[in-house]
Amino acid sequence: MTETLTPETAEQVLETVQWAAAEETPLEVMGAGSKRAYGRPSPAAHRLDLKALSGIELYEPMELVMSAKAATPLADIDAALAENRQRLGFEPADLGPLLGTGAGAGTICGAVICNLSGPGRIKAGAARDHILGFHAVSGRGGRFKSGGRVVKNVTGFDLSKLMAGSFGTLAVMTDVTVKVMPEPEETRTVLVLGAGDAQAVKAMSEALNSAFEISAAAHLPAGVAAVSAVASVAAAGAAVTALRVEGPEPSVVYRAEALKALLEAYGNREELDTAESLAFWRQVRDVGFFVADGPEAGQAQVWRLSVPPAEGAGVAARILDAADGRVFYDWGGGLLWLALAPRPDGGHEAVRGAIGDGGGHATLVRADADVRAAVPVFQPQPEPLARLTARVKEAFDPKGVLNPGRMYEGV
Amino acid sequence: MAVEAARVNDDLIEALREIVGPRLSTSAAVCEQHGRDESYHTPHPPDVVVFAESTDEVAGIVKACARRQVPVIPFGAGTSLEGHVAALHGGVCIDLGAMDQVVAVNPEDMDATVQAGVTRAQLNTYLRDTGLFFPIDPGAEASIGGMTATRASGTNAVRYGTMRENVLALIVVLADGRVIRTSRRARKSSAGYDLTRLFVGSEGTLGVITEITLRLYGIPEAISAAVCAFPTVADAVNTVILTIQSGVPVARIELLDKRQMEAVNTYSDLEYAAAPTLFFEFHGTERAVAEQAETVQAIAADLGGENFAWATRPEDRDKLWKARHDALYASLALRPGCRGWVTDVCVPISRLAECITETTADLEKSPLIATIVGHVGDGNFHVVLLVDPDQAEEIAEAERFNERLVMRALAMDGTCTGEHGIGHGKMDFLIAEHGEAVGVMRAIKQALDPDNIMNPGKIVRV
Ligand SMILES: Cc1cc2nc3c(=O)[nH]c(=O)nc-3n(C[C@H](O)[C@H](O)[C@H](O)COP(=O)(O)OP(=O)(O)OC[C@H]3O[C@@H](n4cnc5c(N)ncnc54)[C@H](O)[C@@H]3O)c2cc1C
Ligand SMILES: Cc1cc2nc3c(=O)[nH]c(=O)nc-3n(C[C@H](O)[C@H](O)[C@H](O)COP(=O)(O)OP(=O)(O)OC[C@H]3O[C@@H](n4cnc5c(N)ncnc54)[C@H](O)[C@@H]3O)c2cc1C
Repeated sequence: MTETLTPETAEQVLETVQWAAAEETPLEVMGAGSKRAYGRPSPAAHRLDLKALSGIELYEPMELVMSAKAATPLADIDAALAENRQRLGFEPADLGPLLGTGAGAGTICGAVICNLSGPGRIKAGAARDHILGFHAVSGRGGRFKSGGRVVKNVTGFDLSKLMAGSFGTLAVMTDVTVKVMPEPEETRTVLVLGAGDAQAVKAMSEALNSAFEISAAAHLPAGVAAVSAVASVAAAGAAVTALRVEGPEPSVVYRAEALKALLEAYGNREELDTAESLAFWRQVRDVGFFVADGPEAGQAQVWRLSVPPAEGAGVAARILDAADGRVFYDWGGGLLWLALAPRPDGGHEAVRGAIGDGGGHATLVRADADVRAAVPVFQPQPEPLARLTARVKEAFDPKGVLNPGRMYEGV
Repeated sequence: MAVEAARVNDDLIEALREIVGPRLSTSAAVCEQHGRDESYHTPHPPDVVVFAESTDEVAGIVKACARRQVPVIPFGAGTSLEGHVAALHGGVCIDLGAMDQVVAVNPEDMDATVQAGVTRAQLNTYLRDTGLFFPIDPGAEASIGGMTATRASGTNAVRYGTMRENVLALIVVLADGRVIRTSRRARKSSAGYDLTRLFVGSEGTLGVITEITLRLYGIPEAISAAVCAFPTVADAVNTVILTIQSGVPVARIELLDKRQMEAVNTYSDLEYAAAPTLFFEFHGTERAVAEQAETVQAIAADLGGENFAWATRPEDRDKLWKARHDALYASLALRPGCRGWVTDVCVPISRLAECITETTADLEKSPLIATIVGHVGDGNFHVVLLVDPDQAEEIAEAERFNERLVMRALAMDGTCTGEHGIGHGKMDFLIAEHGEAVGVMRAIKQALDPDNIMNPGKIVRV
């Protein structure tokens, strides 16, 4: 019978994990559970619910740092930052709606542990690049800290990088310190209309290589653009390639104009103002285009592929030649989101087979639990790497008590 | 259980010769040169140095050493500062300097793959015609492999980050001689644990990095540089804080203290004010750099900044930056024949002025001669202590001073090392700073290198 353990302090988290390690009882680690459906279903006996570990511990707007307890809602963090016209630089997505668990539930450590990084990643970096330090309890039942609150710190192995993207399988983070960034005064988005996928990727690459400091670059083929939350995008009736420029107003105005001139050859150009831009990029960030055909309505399975940007359009074409579905591109073509007609095996061989020599990886982000249990959700690793992964897991969590099997079977 | 390191014997030398042929040396001079870095630390020469030319050769060398449990010490350019390359238990030094090929440049994806021995200057020369550049610029001519292994940074970190944010993928030879690619060119996200970043900053203790894929940046349309003197270090630091907080994307902000400015004036025959001075650089469009310089000038003026001088033409910029460029040599010239002992603390920027002020007061009470230069945008500063390594009492005094400095930084929520790393010089500080995390690091070390052959005696004791 599943019991939910709700420690209220880091000390209690330590005791709980020590107990689990001693009893060899697996735990499912949970922030708010908004991403429970992300990863393989974990056959844990008990649930370690961190929701009581909540609250901002330190916020120094002058210094651009914030520390918060593990399960502090992102909504609280955003609100505190907004008061000082600041924001999280890695734009963590709210995948709740996509995964069918509701909007606005995500927590700070949940975002960091899953390394959720939004459109701004191409310029500002991934979640893992924004962690300055953290406290955690390893699966061995030991408390440790890494990093601190300064931006440069080379004291030994970079444990924060290991934690980001570990999906709670190595240690339970009890708090985290992140960099925050000033909110830009102005945000505009230059749109290029009607470009085919391959052309669009070229346009994005050209823009990103320019001096105009693009902070996000996405491409929505016509069918995806049609469900945009921004009226003018939805009404465009064509594919939309979007480039975001942020900063002080005069500079943004100048760069947006310059960008339109640069991209003249690719099609007609339009521009979104700040309010429209924010709505547009939020939907890209949260994969909002694929929410409506969710589990209830049609069961589209959602894949997330990370590939070299220049190969993005080719990879998508290979997949969509063989399967029914839709795609859109973020990170200048390097990130592909695909919604595919459901298959019992997620079509995983075809999806992963489409990744070319340049490499990359595919994650099955949304599918029924039985599909996620049966097919590799995360990109299978070649043998030497898989062995290293197992050894690192073993070093942190020798009894396998933290989210066993969430990433790989047996890990 | 820790295994006692085995020594190099004729049988191993023979095995190594089969792999690298004549590119092997046991001569005292070559070994001596590979067991020392640029610091005051006592050199420890390896027993043999091999000059590898490919990943396969490195894999063969490591395998041969692993079979015999002989230590392996990777060597890039030997510019590290904490005894990183010292062969504390003897063994085989693998010099990667001859692995100096740029493997591929992908302008459309803005990345490049290089062999470990390529230096950043070589890479940037190679990139000259692509409109791209690689921004991380430690003050020495380091190898990209060594920079990756030490997670190095430079003067550009405020805007472009450090090696930590700019390494995309690696090829690594593990402690058992197996070769892995930690991720391919695709921008890494969540495919397993981020092993790439675990090797970044591992100081040669987990494996030998043979190939690195790096993120590149577009050369800015315009660059401008500025210099400004302040009444006090606190005024200079407050200017930095307000600048960063206002969102001005400064590329570089460097601080030189009064004594450093005097040294530079004498050394390079310049006429800067003998006062704490900030050096700035702005990157962007023509318009953006002009705006940035104006914003910063206004902030500086409010804080007593004087003689704000700025320049956009390359030759004028070089002139402005000359003082910063010559800083080390100027300091060393204050005391001919001495060596530099460079401290490396980093503190929250809100505590930086306090930390530098207390440190300056500490220096005034001590007989040591020193200058201060700082990457102030990150809260990281170096005290360059000018010491005579033959004077035991002086070294002891420097040690005590450094310990006080580190403890001061830790008390301010800072770190003992912002960019130079642990090596074997700062292992005790690592324990002071991180306590139990050292146990986690040791577990990782044992998982990846069970026989403790990779650069043993660095970062953590096994
Ligand atoms: C004048 C001066 C200025 C400096 N300025 C800066 C600065 O601004 N910022 C900064 O961060 N540092 C600075 N440093 C320190 C130094 O330059 C860096 O630590 C640099 O990254 C070392 O690179 P290297 O190639 O010389 O490595 P080495 O000194 O050869 O090696 C350093 C460590 O990395 C390991 N290693 C080297 N290559 C590999 C490889 N291919 N695979 C695995 N392990 C490897 C070695 O075993 C060793 O532990 C400075 C040093 C000097 C002397
Ligand atoms: C043992 C030791 C360790 C040291 N460690 C460090 C260290 O870790 N970090 C550190 O910074 N210093 C360190 N120093 C001091 C440093 O080496 C000296 O300040 C050195 O003289 C600086 O040289 P640089 O190449 O870093 O150029 P800098 O003078 O620091 O110039 C910074 C950068 O600006 C660029 N630049 C200069 N002018 C222009 C221009 N007009 N336009 C565009 N770009 C320009 C240069 O390319 C250079 O890379 C150390 C000194 C010693 C003795």
